[in-house]
Amino acid sequence: MAPVAARRYTFVLPWVIFLALLLLPLTDLSSNTIRLLFTTAVWIIAGIGWNLVGGFTGQVSFGFAVFYGLGAYVTALMINGGRSPYFAFLGGIAIAVLASFFVSMPTFRLRGPYFAIATIGVGEATRVIMNNLDITGGASGYRIFEKRAFNQLEHYYSAIVLMALALAISSLIVHSKFGLALRAIKQDQDAAAAVGVNHYLSKLWIHAVAAAMTGLAGGLYARYHAFIYPGDVFAFQTSIYILLIPVIGGIGTVWGPVLGGIVFGIVEEELVVHFPNIHLLLYGSVLIAIVLLEPDGLIGLLRRLVRFFWRRREDSGSKDPDEILWGRSGLEGREL
Amino acid sequence: MTASDYLDLIIKSLLLAGIYAAMAVGMTVIYGVMKIVNLAHAGFLMMGAYFAFVLFNRFHIDPVLGAILALPAFFLFGMAMHWLLVRWLPKSDTPTLSSLLLMFGVWLVLQNLGYMIFGSEDSSILTPRTLASVQLGDISIPLVSLIVFIAAVVSLVLLQIIFNRSWFGRSMRSLIQNPYAAKIVGVDDERTARLTFGLGTAFAGFAGALLAMLYSFNADFGRPFLLRSFVIIVLGGLESVSGVAIGALVLALLETFSVQVLPASYQPAISFALLVVVLIIMPKGIAGLLQRKLKVT
Repeated sequence: MAPVAARRYTFVLPWVIFLALLLLPLTDLSSNTIRLLFTTAVWIIAGIGWNLVGGFTGQVSFGFAVFYGLGAYVTALMINGGRSPYFAFLGGIAIAVLASFFVSMPTFRLRGPYFAIATIGVGEATRVIMNNLDITGGASGYRIFEKRAFNQLEHYYSAIVLMALALAISSLIVHSKFGLALRAIKQDQDAAAAVGVNHYLSKLWIHAVAAAMTGLAGGLYARYHAFIYPGDVFAFQTSIYILLIPVIGGIGTVWGPVLGGIVFGIVEEELVVHFPNIHLLLYGSVLIAIVLLEPDGLIGLLRRLVRFFWRRREDSGSKDPDEILWGRSGLEGREL
Repeated sequence: MTASDYLDLIIKSLLLAGIYAAMAVGMTVIYGVMKIVNLAHAGFLMMGAYFAFVLFNRFHIDPVLGAILALPAFFLFGMAMHWLLVRWLPKSDTPTLSSLLLMFGVWLVLQNLGYMIFGSEDSSILTPRTLASVQLGDISIPLVSLIVFIAAVVSLVLLQIIFNRSWFGRSMRSLIQNPYAAKIVGVDDERTARLTFGLGTAFAGFAGALLAMLYSFNADFGRPFLLRSFVIIVLGGLESVSGVAIGALVLALLETFSVQVLPASYQPAISFALLVVVLIIMPKGIAGLLQRKLKVT
């Protein structure tokens, strides 16, 4: 009984949340709350992207700010060039995907930590170049003039819809044959190759999809803020944030980045206000604690709770309810 | 450019290569034995710099002596770090997701502790020696770079002796070559790993203290050097100490001479570009390339 109910929940729950988010602005929300929700949605999109590469495929990247920043800058340039903002998002995505090949083509040919380290380097190099690039104003930043009145709700709805889209894409990928191939690569690249998975191409494409999502997030951010500078969108901190969201929520799970993004969005808001100097210190400690104590993040914690209560109420336990609720355990093949 | 200009640049790169090698070697031994990419290396370098800085400012200890004192201090610190955090990581032949994330978290914590304690302004160690130089014909060599170079080379030679002659060095080498066979013949991998992590950290602290004599530093001091270290050990073939020396020399030469062509602000991009080129052309490093050439002929 339990599995059926659980399956029904997993089918209905996303739609309920999505509808609630769409209807939320009808109630009297302050524009500050809407801004917070918008920012959270943007972070979640980037986090979903990172999770595809870092979580499902097991290739950690420390340089997602590159795609975030490129998406932001290309979108900004195109909006200032008189294009529609939605067309500009597409431009940002295209450039981010191109950049993703630049990083992944040399590094994914090899096994080992090359990709992870190269991503640190690519982040550094891009920020240096952007700091010195004249057409975008270099380090002093770039202002966006959109030829429309500022409509916060439009920003909000675009972010929510795109977030739902990113989540749907991530879920589709994970449950497809391609997603199975990715999981196989994460667990054992040689075994995956032996059953006919082309690990190089699979990693390349999933990295491109992830870069596209992150570029989109950057574009959304740029359009909302109307001012971007390399020290913000290309900062190493941005990469850290994008990495932390899925890690907090539950690395390698579909819903992990969403949970992580919500927690991160709220915590970041409070932390920056109250402890502007030590918030990265706290994030570092959280990262250590998660890796050592609960590698599956919040999802793992929830799974434990659910398992605990389900066991108490029902004794049959022919099938683990949590497997249906949360998907297969991220514990299997957590390693590179 | 005249011939003496070239000679000047070559000497500069040589001096730079010494400190680069000392900096990268800590990362190499840790990677070789434990297959962990020590991202916290950047944090250890920063700590080494501040270690020498505090000793110099508070207790007026000469920075060279400070760097030497950093060796035992960071050795103990590294062993504690391994005992506290690193040993709980799952063991594997390849770097794991959790090890990357853990060391990254450690780095974040160290870096921001640095910001908390020392603020975000740049500090530097200024001694009467800082601006002195040695004249060699037409060429003047900064005295500090020379001292740093000598210290780095001596430490590398000592490391090579430990590596080749001591019981600990032998168990380290056996773990690098084949961890399973090493365990079968009775190498205590846990203990060797702890000592290796201490050794790697000690070298990071030592190199950080030496670097602090050359450059000004802040809490984010280690980041540009992290990528350089990695490029060097990739060039050197990831696991050999002598490879590191060659890798350091290549990177130093490239960086020094590129200033002639590229604006200095693009320098951080150089190590990345070198990494990409190396990964495409010779994924096993210079040593691997030579081996392949020898096999063909």
